[in-house]
Amino acid sequence: MSDELVLSAQGLTKSYGRVQALRGIDLEIRRGEVLGYLGPNGAGKTTTIRCLLDLIRPDGGTLRVFGMNPQERSVEVRARSGYLPGELQIDPNRTAREALRYFNALRGNNVDWAYVNELSERLQLDLKTTIKNMSHGNKQKIGIVQALMHKPDLLLLDEPTLGLDPLMQREVLRLIGDAKAEGASVFFSSHIMSEVEAVADRVAIIRKGVVVEEAEPTSLINRAFRRASVRFKQAVDIEQLDKIPGVHVLSRNDGTSVLLQVEGEMENLLKALAALPVIDLETERPSLEEIFLAYYEDEGQEV
Amino acid sequence: MITVFRYTLRRYRGQIIGWGIGLALLGLLLVSMFDTIGSQTDALNEYLSVFPEEFTAFFGDFTDFGTPEGFVGVEFFSYMPIIIGIFAVMIGSGMLVSDEENGTLDLILSYPVSRTALYTGRMLAFIVASVMILGLAWVGLAVPMSWSSMTIDLDVLALPFVSLLAQIMIFGAISLLFSMLLPSRGMAAMAGGLLLVASFFITGLAKINDTLETVAKISPLNYYQAREAFDGLNGTWIAGILGVSLVFVILAWMLFRQRDIRVGGEGGWRLSLPSLRRGAKIKESA
Repeated sequence: MSDELVLSAQGLTKSYGRVQALRGIDLEIRRGEVLGYLGPNGAGKTTTIRCLLDLIRPDGGTLRVFGMNPQERSVEVRARSGYLPGELQIDPNRTAREALRYFNALRGNNVDWAYVNELSERLQLDLKTTIKNMSHGNKQKIGIVQALMHKPDLLLLDEPTLGLDPLMQREVLRLIGDAKAEGASVFFSSHIMSEVEAVADRVAIIRKGVVVEEAEPTSLINRAFRRASVRFKQAVDIEQLDKIPGVHVLSRNDGTSVLLQVEGEMENLLKALAALPVIDLETERPSLEEIFLAYYEDEGQEV
Repeated sequence: MITVFRYTLRRYRGQIIGWGIGLALLGLLLVSMFDTIGSQTDALNEYLSVFPEEFTAFFGDFTDFGTPEGFVGVEFFSYMPIIIGIFAVMIGSGMLVSDEENGTLDLILSYPVSRTALYTGRMLAFIVASVMILGLAWVGLAVPMSWSSMTIDLDVLALPFVSLLAQIMIFGAISLLFSMLLPSRGMAAMAGGLLLVASFFITGLAKINDTLETVAKISPLNYYQAREAFDGLNGTWIAGILGVSLVFVILAWMLFRQRDIRVGGEGGWRLSLPSLRRGAKIKESA
């Protein structure tokens, strides 16, 4: 990953009538970086991506892709980008090969067809099948191939593994990793935490049109609370543990075991446990999914 | 732009073949009928003389029905704008918006194709498809004339088709503009279709009702030549219709360049029409 800025958005706003989809998005992606863009349905993920390609026009803020304003130089921006829409629609009467040939023609026939075949093989995509006879997952594979086939400098993927089986999901993540290894920057939206955790260098969490958190996945996990499960030789006074700053009792069992949530350092808890007859102590970090859900817990939104 | 043009024209194949062959077969039928009808001109003229004025206002002058030009003028060209106008309205209203509504435009415009190039490519494909359909219709009249008593010079036979092409252009352009202004392709097609039918009736009725003459002046079909085209095209009318079409095309282009590409209805709007479903209100309030 280099310091070269591939994409930057500052104060990006967009409304659809009275609905404010984006309320001031700030984002940056550098060359060779994979940014996972997390958020529930309707948070503004797709709107952000569509602004980057000049499919929709933001109401305010500044946007630069490869140093260019997509509104003024959309063709140049798109020539260096590969896009997979969240709701992929392709002419159903064509075969996969015909569709990809059409997309290649729109790119000025500069695609290496051997690479298209290689991608199709890796994704087990049959190019001879007519699209209307394909499953959702196979259509999604066409979308992935068309986004990658010209080896773009920037990949904009809106829920890339949607509808794919676990094996193919893993293959797509490998393809994203390969693109990154070749120097491409990847901006992908998802609400599947495991895949973001697996490939993203950084994650940005969007809520109601605002990026509420942006960090490396590990840093986000380390910064967050952890859980501690403690078993005692005999019943102890659990209440004393609940009084330790940053410690919260989640569940208890006859005073002989307890599940705790610890925010910040473990020092105070360990000091308190040293005076108790502890026979077992297990700690675990929360998953990215739990952190993500915590951002939406108070809103009661469906994720 | 060339790629867009090529692929769009390829997509219009069905329309070109369907409309073109259909009109050609109609021409073949009419030319075949002319020999029979031509031998009974006197009886036919007597029959047609009792037709009301309102009828001739819409379907042309029957006085030279027995001549090849008069026959083709009445039986083919008089109502052809309303027939081929449907093609113009459907293609014009869906030229860009049908892809937007089915979600494919989102992906196409993520490619290095400017909106202007996409627009121009599709517009050119529409023009070429229209010319091809009219060309096939011309062939349908011209070829059977070689074994029929109907004789019209082939270049003269092309003249009403030129007038017809201008009408296709204006109704296509109006429908395209409607599709940029209205929230859906269906509404744009409906508005374009209404305008087409209204234009047909206003133009026809203005011939028998002087008070409609002023309104008829803004009706595109007022400047259409059916039988009259055989005596020479009105260049001013053709230029005027094409000029107005160009204005609509430019306006639609300006709107297309500025607007958001919609997916899933975002940014759209709806007319608040009263519900026709019985009990809809009860259900909503429940």
